[in-house]
Amino acid sequence: MSVKYIPVQWNPNKYIYDAVMLLGVGLFLYVFLYASPGILSHERPINPQVHNARAFGACAFVMLTVILCIGPLARLDPRFLPLLYNRRHFGVMTVFVAITHAGYIVDWYFAFSSSNKYEALLFANTSYGQLAGFPFEVFGIFALFTLILLAATSHDFWMKFLSPPVWKRIHYLIYPAYLSVVAHVSFGILQDQQNHAFTMIFIGGAAAVGILQLIAALKERRADQELASEAVEWVPVCDVSEMKEGFAKIKLLANGERVAVYLNEGKLSAISNACAHQNGPLGEGQIIDCLVTCPWHGFQYDVTNGRSPAPFTEKIPTYNLKTEGTRVLVDPRANPPGTYVEPVPAGATS
Amino acid sequence: MNQAEAILMGLRIWGSIGAVVAAIFLTIGMDRIDEDARGAYIFRPLLIPGILVIWPLVLWRWYLYESGRELWARRYDPPRRAHFAVGWILPIGICLIILTGLSLRQTWPAEIAPVQLSGPAEVSQ
Repeated sequence: MSVKYIPVQWNPNKYIYDAVMLLGVGLFLYVFLYASPGILSHERPINPQVHNARAFGACAFVMLTVILCIGPLARLDPRFLPLLYNRRHFGVMTVFVAITHAGYIVDWYFAFSSSNKYEALLFANTSYGQLAGFPFEVFGIFALFTLILLAATSHDFWMKFLSPPVWKRIHYLIYPAYLSVVAHVSFGILQDQQNHAFTMIFIGGAAAVGILQLIAALKERRADQELASEAVEWVPVCDVSEMKEGFAKIKLLANGERVAVYLNEGKLSAISNACAHQNGPLGEGQIIDCLVTCPWHGFQYDVTNGRSPAPFTEKIPTYNLKTEGTRVLVDPRANPPGTYVEPVPAGATS
Repeated sequence: MNQAEAILMGLRIWGSIGAVVAAIFLTIGMDRIDEDARGAYIFRPLLIPGILVIWPLVLWRWYLYESGRELWARRYDPPRRAHFAVGWILPIGICLIILTGLSLRQTWPAEIAPVQLSGPAEVSQ
């Protein structure tokens, strides 16, 4: 949560996150390079450049796999949310590991070309018309460019400037990039793999990503069907008795927007479910001292006016509410971000 | 100029235009459209790589802010439905790619004579 932008927003939790991540990368590279020649079929003599290239390439694949498992895991079980908290640093670190892999490859396999080494990379294999011997390098190039784009647009400024939905759409490129990495490995090193330890790690990792994404998507689809409403005026949300003090009920409106209706000190307030930072699910956060905290990155908002506490400046839309008997209804027309709405006493008739 | 040279030349031109956009946007533009950026300078070099890559989008967004055409309602409508498409496309794509890769694997005796799969590359060394 920023007042003025700074290069990197670190805090004690992020230091711990980054330290564990760096330790994990160091450990992976050590095991790959020095402790497991038998398991990973490195008993065949290869020079240090190729060995390093494989180590950093494998590390980048595993990191990307973990990153893509974190999202669905957090959607399936909130206990994984702390892993999501600083995933941005994880992604940036992955890019540096992937660039190192590419650097070793280009500086070894293409450095002795009479042409520019990057030109050599592009024209060394142009057999695009056949699967056997397909130029798998192109998959790696696409994935690397995509990862660089995502890392380069990861600062909070970009989220505000592009708007979270546009930013999110750009960052959905991570999925084609992952498929591209899978193709890079499948049509590349997998063709030459004699020892199958790495093959199993690769297939297991990719399968974990695919299965977790599928399970999370099915769960979210079921939840959406329960939340959805086609009503255009005063959408019924729930019965007051179903609400829990400090928590929200989420409603999916006909126009696709989500509203989070909170019970706070016996009164009802409604705000957009989408956080102004990354459109995180505010309705899954808890109210403390009238402020709801986004479960993704900790941004806070007053539920009566959708504003972050001073000196922060983030604002989200609010919604008008009314009750009919014990039923809670929301007006689907959002108020402009930061609009104060008088909380409605729970159970009051109107 | 061969195709590889043309691709790299295109990238250099794209990046050069991006550098001009970055210089103007980071010194003039962002102060006009984002109050959180005013008086904050140290973070700006971090934005240069992003602007080099997506400078047309930067110019378009800058125009939307300057012209007042940026609609607030659009900022709170995340593309969550895309999760469902991703949930199907990713596992199916992963399976197809890996199975294709495994089916292409060739194992033969070490002494077999190598066979050239395709013609010479566009430019030989």
